[in-house]
Amino acid sequence: MTAWLVKRFLTLVGMLWLASVAVFLVLFILPGDPAQVILGINATPETLANVRAELGLDRPPWVQYGDWILGLLQGRSGRSIHYDVPVTELILSRMAVTGPLALLAMVFAVAFSIPLGIYAARHQNRPGDLTVMGFTQLGLATPEFWLGILLMLLFAVRLGWFSAGGFPGWSVSFWGSLKALLLPSLALGLIRAAILTRLTRSSMLEVLREDFVRTARAKGLRERTVIYVHALKNALIPVITILGLQLGQLLAGAIVIENVYYLPGIGRLVFQAIGQRDLPVVREVVLLMAAMIILVNFLVDVVYALVDPRIRLE
Amino acid sequence: MRRLVFVLLALALAFPALAQTPQRGGHLIVCQPAEPPGLDPTANTAAAIDRVVYSNVFEGLIKVDSEGRFLPGLAERWEVSPDGRVYTFHLRKGVKFHNGEPFDAEVAAWNLRRAMADKTQNPHPEYFRGIAEIQTPDSHTLVLTLKEPDALFIPHMAEGDAVMLPMGAADKAKSHPIGTGPFQFVKWVRGDRVELKRFEGYWDPELPYLDRVTFKFIPDPSAQVAALRAGDIHVIGYIASPESAQELARDKRFKVLNGTTTGEVILSTNNKAKPFDDVRVRRAMAHAIDRKKLIQLAMFGYGTPIGSHWSPSTPYYIDLTGMYPYDPDRAKALLKEAGYPDGFEAVIKLPAPYSYSRRSGEVIADMLAKVGIRLKIEVIEWGQWIDRVFKNKDYQLTVIGHVEPWDIGIYANPNYYFQYDSPRFREAYTKALRARNEEEKARYFGLCQRIIAEDAVNGFLFSAPSLPVMRSEVMGWWRNYPTIALDCTRVWLKR
Repeated sequence: MTAWLVKRFLTLVGMLWLASVAVFLVLFILPGDPAQVILGINATPETLANVRAELGLDRPPWVQYGDWILGLLQGRSGRSIHYDVPVTELILSRMAVTGPLALLAMVFAVAFSIPLGIYAARHQNRPGDLTVMGFTQLGLATPEFWLGILLMLLFAVRLGWFSAGGFPGWSVSFWGSLKALLLPSLALGLIRAAILTRLTRSSMLEVLREDFVRTARAKGLRERTVIYVHALKNALIPVITILGLQLGQLLAGAIVIENVYYLPGIGRLVFQAIGQRDLPVVREVVLLMAAMIILVNFLVDVVYALVDPRIRLE
Repeated sequence: MRRLVFVLLALALAFPALAQTPQRGGHLIVCQPAEPPGLDPTANTAAAIDRVVYSNVFEGLIKVDSEGRFLPGLAERWEVSPDGRVYTFHLRKGVKFHNGEPFDAEVAAWNLRRAMADKTQNPHPEYFRGIAEIQTPDSHTLVLTLKEPDALFIPHMAEGDAVMLPMGAADKAKSHPIGTGPFQFVKWVRGDRVELKRFEGYWDPELPYLDRVTFKFIPDPSAQVAALRAGDIHVIGYIASPESAQELARDKRFKVLNGTTTGEVILSTNNKAKPFDDVRVRRAMAHAIDRKKLIQLAMFGYGTPIGSHWSPSTPYYIDLTGMYPYDPDRAKALLKEAGYPDGFEAVIKLPAPYSYSRRSGEVIADMLAKVGIRLKIEVIEWGQWIDRVFKNKDYQLTVIGHVEPWDIGIYANPNYYFQYDSPRFREAYTKALRARNEEEKARYFGLCQRIIAEDAVNGFLFSAPSLPVMRSEVMGWWRNYPTIALDCTRVWLKR
């Protein structure tokens, strides 16, 4: 177990290092001088040179890279060109939006998909199953931004129950902030629920055909116990994998939905930063996203082992 | 009695402003699409900065009003010597910055020297470098002696690049702006909004009318309209999608103002790239573009045709839209004369973030195809546009809006991305800058407009509409945008 952890940790560090080199190089090659993007198309060459010097863009690339990595290792984060604050500060404040948004979306996804998946499996090929599968097919085909706009038009513009977007901030209004996240997380959650429902259904169907389920039924257990205790626990393994991957993706920022609801989340931060060539922000956010996905994958492996004792961490 | 009622009624109709006295108080929420990159207008030309802080948080010696007139700002009045070289500004007394620092001649001089310095971050040091000497005979008089007369000195002093910062807090202006304006900065929730509140110590005790102003940054056009309809915001500063302006104008809860701006949308042409180095080809394109129809198709009818690089809302404007009337046959003849009887193929690069540019580019491609110029459309990201088109001049055609007022001087720079090199224009522009009176200014700025129109340097398309959209209770919002600002000083909410 310890050896496995050490090995995983070293791989993690190696992958992060590769990610850092990759993101630095890509941004270096990417056309678009940050100083010119900042100053606009009427600036004089002299001011351009002054700003480039101030941002440290006139130094050789390896010096810039070394400076950045050494800084990060010492816990010094870069400074956003656009916002003039440390990048860590930005990331923390954006995570306060994206984190709860992702979790809430996953709660919606699970709350819809597990019961529906079980229901569909138990009523295989009957009208109930077909209806549920029809809806999941629709969900798979729906882009999340479109669902987001539909929800907004209905609940914000027509009914006026919610505001059409924006985020007041947790310290300003807790309930207001929670309310601001409801529609976007519902949009994200419903789309993800479509995949998870199908997965739960097929996994459940497979498990229900297993011998141990027949045994459980044969020894006279109640159907509810058979389904929820014996079958479900086994059926959930593939579901957890996908759930973990999706959570990783959502934490990396739901760029599109954050733009539709203009939520100041991590996805919009990086989207904007790329357009404005705010290189310190792009670098560190991308690195963080990579770290997050690697970490979530690692956690999924661990959870796997906990759910299924047959899997050993070697 | 009946006559009195009639007279009063006539008066009320003639002066609607008199019928409505501004009401104090209220919290106005303004949406503008782009979040500013920092909040210091003296460090960056981004229009998004000026739209939040110009005249709201920061003021310069001179202000611009909604009609484009130059009004006293921090200078109560000013005089210019007959030779046009000495400007004497009489500064307003009792002006304080939001942090309590007083504003006087010494502070003004410090600001000007800061903009001129070698290590300046001001994007337009050339606005200030013409100053030979700065004198402060007393605490509220500022005397500036220019090396040579500069016809644009007053307009430049009225721009965001020349606003006054306090000596003690100028370095923090990017993230915590402190000025002398009617509103003071409260906070900037990055990625979401900037909050301002009424400055109780403003030099005009009558102003502003509002208690609070919040600028919300919503980039997506449909999200902006949804926010307006849902009641989350009062005003969309300038609407990105003209089709929704049309729809909102029909709704009684909202009003749409269709005014002018300083923005000229042009078909920028690389004058050194073949075949556009031939003036006949450029003139042929000018004849092949039907501006009225372009405005109909790309802008849903909002916008004013232009014939040169000068907005109708800027003084000394001359109407040159008749120089190249829409005439496809004439265009074809010119192309034949230039050696392209069957036309040619070219590439137009359009910046992805600007829908007016993409739409105009598509319409133009269709219009030019009718005379045999077949355009391939390439949509590129903004950073790439800056790099390839603007910096490396690796392009043939593009469509972009130039928003800075008084910017015809860019045609005097042969290295600018148009690659237009004309000694005749440079001479006219120098004469315009050295003009000593209004008559000379009008003559030479007029000549400048005419020369680039004759040379058909770029396709001059239309002046962008202001198009603010707001709830009907918002009063006093600017119809025209003669400078880059969303000035809320005199805006009020009707209850």
